[in-house]
Amino acid sequence: MSDMLRAPAETKYAEELDWLESIDDGPKPFSWRLSPKMVRLFILGSERADGLDREVSQKWFGDRSFVERSIVTLASDRGLLLIGDPGTGKSWLAELLAAAISRNSTLVVQGTAGTTEDHIKYSWNVSMVIAKGQSRASMIPSPIMTAMEGGVIGRFEELTRSTSDVQDALISILSEKYVSIPELDTDNIVFAKPGFSIIATANSRDRGVNDLSSALKRRFNFVRIPVVTNKKSEAEIVRFRTEELLRRHDIELEVPPTLLDVLLQSFADLRAAAGSATSDEERLESALSTAEQIGVLEDAILHSNFFGASALTAEALAGSLVGSLARRSPEDLAILNKYWHGVVEPRSREHGGEWGGFLEGGRQAIATLS
Amino acid sequence: MSGPFDALREQLLGAAESLAGGPDALPEILAGMVDDVDHALREPLEIFPVCHHSPASALAMARRLRQKQPKVIYLELCEDLTPLLTELRNCRLPVALQAFASEVDGFPKESAPLSVIAPITEASAEYQAIAYALETPGVELVLVDRSTDHVFQWQPAAGPHVGEEPEEDLHGDAVGVEIGDLRPRFAELEEHLLHHGRVRHWSEWWEQYVEQPLAGADHETYRQVMVMIGSLFRRLAPHDTRRLATDEDRERYMWTRIREHLAASGADRADCLYICGAFHAASRVAEAGSAPGTPDFEITGRTATQWLYGLIPSSHSAIEAQFGLAPGSVSIAAATWQKSLLRTGVKPFALAGQKSGRKKKAPAPTPAIGTGAVTDQLSGYLAGPPALDGLDEEELRGWCVDIVRLARRNGYLASTADAIAVFETSVLLAGMRGRRRPTPYDFQDAAITCIEKEVVPGRRDVRRLCEILLGGDRIGQVGYDALPPLARDVYDRLEPLGLNLTQRTIQRALLDLAARPELVACSRLLWMLRYLLPDHAVRPIMGSRRLGEKPIQESWDLDLGRHQRTIIELGYEGVTVEQVLEQRLRRSAWEPKATAATALKAVEDSLLFLNSPRLTEELGARAVELLAAERTVDEAPAVLRRIRRLMAHYRATEPALPAWCERFVTEGYAHYCTLLPTAFVDDETGVRQVGAMLGFLFSMESLALSLGCDRTQLEIAVRQSHPEPPAKLALLWAARHQLGDLPLSDLRARVDDLLGNPLVVPAVPQYVSGFVQALEPVPRLAPFVVEILSKAFGSLPDPVLLPWLPSLIMTLRTQAAELVPVLTKEAGRTFPGTLAGIDSWTPPWESRPAPSAGPAVRAVRPGGGPAAALLAAHPQAADAAAVLLGCPGEWTHPADPSDEGAAAADGGGAAVRALLTAYPETTGVVAGLVGAVV
Repeated sequence: MSDMLRAPAETKYAEELDWLESIDDGPKPFSWRLSPKMVRLFILGSERADGLDREVSQKWFGDRSFVERSIVTLASDRGLLLIGDPGTGKSWLAELLAAAISRNSTLVVQGTAGTTEDHIKYSWNVSMVIAKGQSRASMIPSPIMTAMEGGVIGRFEELTRSTSDVQDALISILSEKYVSIPELDTDNIVFAKPGFSIIATANSRDRGVNDLSSALKRRFNFVRIPVVTNKKSEAEIVRFRTEELLRRHDIELEVPPTLLDVLLQSFADLRAAAGSATSDEERLESALSTAEQIGVLEDAILHSNFFGASALTAEALAGSLVGSLARRSPEDLAILNKYWHGVVEPRSREHGGEWGGFLEGGRQAIATLS
Repeated sequence: MSGPFDALREQLLGAAESLAGGPDALPEILAGMVDDVDHALREPLEIFPVCHHSPASALAMARRLRQKQPKVIYLELCEDLTPLLTELRNCRLPVALQAFASEVDGFPKESAPLSVIAPITEASAEYQAIAYALETPGVELVLVDRSTDHVFQWQPAAGPHVGEEPEEDLHGDAVGVEIGDLRPRFAELEEHLLHHGRVRHWSEWWEQYVEQPLAGADHETYRQVMVMIGSLFRRLAPHDTRRLATDEDRERYMWTRIREHLAASGADRADCLYICGAFHAASRVAEAGSAPGTPDFEITGRTATQWLYGLIPSSHSAIEAQFGLAPGSVSIAAATWQKSLLRTGVKPFALAGQKSGRKKKAPAPTPAIGTGAVTDQLSGYLAGPPALDGLDEEELRGWCVDIVRLARRNGYLASTADAIAVFETSVLLAGMRGRRRPTPYDFQDAAITCIEKEVVPGRRDVRRLCEILLGGDRIGQVGYDALPPLARDVYDRLEPLGLNLTQRTIQRALLDLAARPELVACSRLLWMLRYLLPDHAVRPIMGSRRLGEKPIQESWDLDLGRHQRTIIELGYEGVTVEQVLEQRLRRSAWEPKATAATALKAVEDSLLFLNSPRLTEELGARAVELLAAERTVDEAPAVLRRIRRLMAHYRATEPALPAWCERFVTEGYAHYCTLLPTAFVDDETGVRQVGAMLGFLFSMESLALSLGCDRTQLEIAVRQSHPEPPAKLALLWAARHQLGDLPLSDLRARVDDLLGNPLVVPAVPQYVSGFVQALEPVPRLAPFVVEILSKAFGSLPDPVLLPWLPSLIMTLRTQAAELVPVLTKEAGRTFPGTLAGIDSWTPPWESRPAPSAGPAVRAVRPGGGPAAALLAAHPQAADAAAVLLGCPGEWTHPADPSDEGAAAADGGGAAVRALLTAYPETTGVVAGLVGAVV
């Protein structure tokens, strides 16, 4: 086990990637480390029909065509923009793609309101400039510029959070594929090597904050990642991520499948309720994404492990669910209260099982918060 | 036994053995498939397996027909649809053959109407066969599948129709039948195939694994592969389902019919071709086979249901929706068909006169080449990768350019760069999905990736645009000659409007009936259509049709082009619109749940739409019958409203009331009199209903009495009524007032008592409600109602008044037509009209003078003048009337001329005199008439 809290995908799956690279005989575009088919196999996992000696686990859960379209976009000369609600796995997909294609998913620019053009292009090591003057040595390249020089994939998280002028700096990078450094007299252009491309992510809830210019839109292919509503694949995702978490914390804890069902069902109910609500007051502030579900389960696991009886209970799960979804008081609490009394209570009467404990825990948590 | 497939059988069994972990049934299935193929090919009557909406099938069919030139074609299609096929010449495909039964006999009543449709598209094998058979002399086409009647006989008990209809609803809620339904029979298998084929829909899987490899295949390969696939699905289908049993019965049915035909016609089996779905081609039922002596299937008779047949328009999207295909798949199949024709140079068959845009290709008969021994073509298909066409660059480039153009037109910021990107992406996607050539599905994905951004600017997104580009939805049309008489009649009669009614857009018709009286007939027809098809086809924008109205101008939105089906289905009910309407009216009046109100409505509709006194008379008689049989008075308000309207209409247009109307009134008078006492007491009967009964009795009274009814019946009925609820009590008082039993002063005193008694005050609003309901039966009580309303508002305490207000308002709102005009008119007369007037205003009921001699004097004074003078001069007549009425006459003598009233009268007299002197002609004529001499 590495001593990193969270290893990037290329480190975590290094051995698997090495093996895939060794058996990969498909044509590889540019300087890609894997062929497109292998990239897809790495992300979506292998099947018996693939005829491989070992099993490759599925790492991202969603429609196959999204992955295919993303890979194909990176092989063309356009950037890839993954757009979707928070918690739909955009960044995770971006990381997996970068790891599989160029074995480096860490060349990331995080888009914020404070992101400047320097973060995208380059900046200067001031003391070095004073000592030695402006040169390539005293220049600090941005992650994007590093990606250009290496011919690998650069990532731009939350593109729509940064301001329009910063976004527009990407236009020339994506179309001309070079960055000029006017401060230098010689060696003043950095050309992108083949294989360079950008994966950006954008939050569809932020639409309208800093709209992309149409020139930039044109240089990106949009792949919209929807919220997972398929219960089966959602269960798969939650199980996958929870196992990872348990491994990371060395926690010996069993997540009973019935409890997982309770969690999935309650999220499905709340989503349906949000879908039929007419105003924001009647809707939970949370997007109720899969990531949120994982967060709830993580919380409950950690809580049960360190403060509880080392067993995950329905009460703990309910408490964690209420705790993470009740953000606004009284609106969110009122919705949860209504849900608990209108849906969970009859269900516990009908089905019993874990729902009984879930009902009790939720009630207590709501009472404590209100 | 050695055969051409032995080697393959061995090979597959070997494979099954090596997959040791597989299910035990595997060897059996694999070997069985090969056996099925072998068996089907050994059949002397050539079996041609097809799949629906498969261009490869159509192509193979066209080739085979040219090559073999069969004399008899057996087709898997309901046998009773045969006469319809020639009508296909008049239509633009896709259309659907329809069998329709509105009245069922032998099926559960609630399942009516029954409807079966079989859509026919151009890119289908069955159309090729039909066109060949109908266009080539000497070829017989025999439909062998069970009749539409059997479709329902064999169906598990069909429940009543579900009201939900999909958006793309060209087929209505008909049951669809299709040739060559080939699809995995259980969800897991389909899911498995899709998953491993890395495709999203069944249509895509089919396209990639069967359609493309078979597109250029020769006849033998095609036939063997299709039978094998049919056999695979058959062997993997759940065996104990009703569906499989039905399918097997159909196979027995079809083979029995084929053998019957062969025996009857003596046709050579080598000259015949049997076209059926691949699923049926792999049939192993005992009754299958053309050999004489094969056991026959006992074909049950049809039910007595009478079926009607016709063609209705269909569309690609309607077919997709009905048969659960992926959106766009039928369109893509049509595009593929066109392309394959171009590429392979195969000449398709087409019906002469078909409106398809393409010229009919003359069939160029080639000598039939007898196929020799059967050889194994399956091994190649199963073992090798499919032999695909090379990348059809030209076509893909065309698509890319077109989609960008289309996207731009729909608001996308797409450019040539996007076209290039779409091209590149399609190729890359196809490569990644293991296809050498991008399929339309790859192209669609690529276009979405490259062009779709975060918002859809227009009405259509890129996915939809791609569907449009790849052929779009094509909607068929049934030609004029193939329409039922009713639909043709409708088109003929709307001809004077001068609109193109076949167009699939909404057409606005302006009817200036004053300037162009010939359009009155059109208007009448449109109103009838509106009545028969309320939600569809025609919609009035301006104009209405009510009794007593004569339209001057009307404007209509006509959408007949898109609602051809509904008009055609109307054609199953009768020959003309009038006939259908008459049937509907009759049905509504004679249905078991009909009431007098519904019958009166039918009467009214018959007057509005049909000029048929006989029908109206019959419906009216039915209304009388229903009224007499009714035991409740729930519908009294509706009855009253309608009979009033009808009587007003008859009085205005006819010299005398029709007989049924008179009977209705006398019958109603007696009927309501009888029911009145119970209605007053019954808790279930509302105040409104009782009010309407009284309204009927009082407003029809004079007519009823003149027709021989007896007033005492009503008086006794009222006297027998002893209601308890305050509202009905108030109504009873109003009725007694109307009958002269309760003077207004008493009524007023009673109400004042109520208001003065603190124990009764909470119930006062209910009394007032009763009086409000009395406005209708006793309109002359209106001033009194205004009075008590004013008193109630003035004196009731808020806790009593406020809770009652909403219900009062709701009552007034729901019965606005009857109550509000009377009330507002009376209130307007009572209350001052100006703000200043209010200060000096005292309500009339408070300023009432003492009931002494006052009223009599006042009554005479305004009557002064010449009339009073005349009466005073000749008092005999007035005295006699007074004696008759039993009141002692008392004469006030004409005032002397100094009295101001007389002065005024005198002044008036002078003016009249002056006028008459100036224009003596009128007086002269009147004098001449009465025979007086001036």
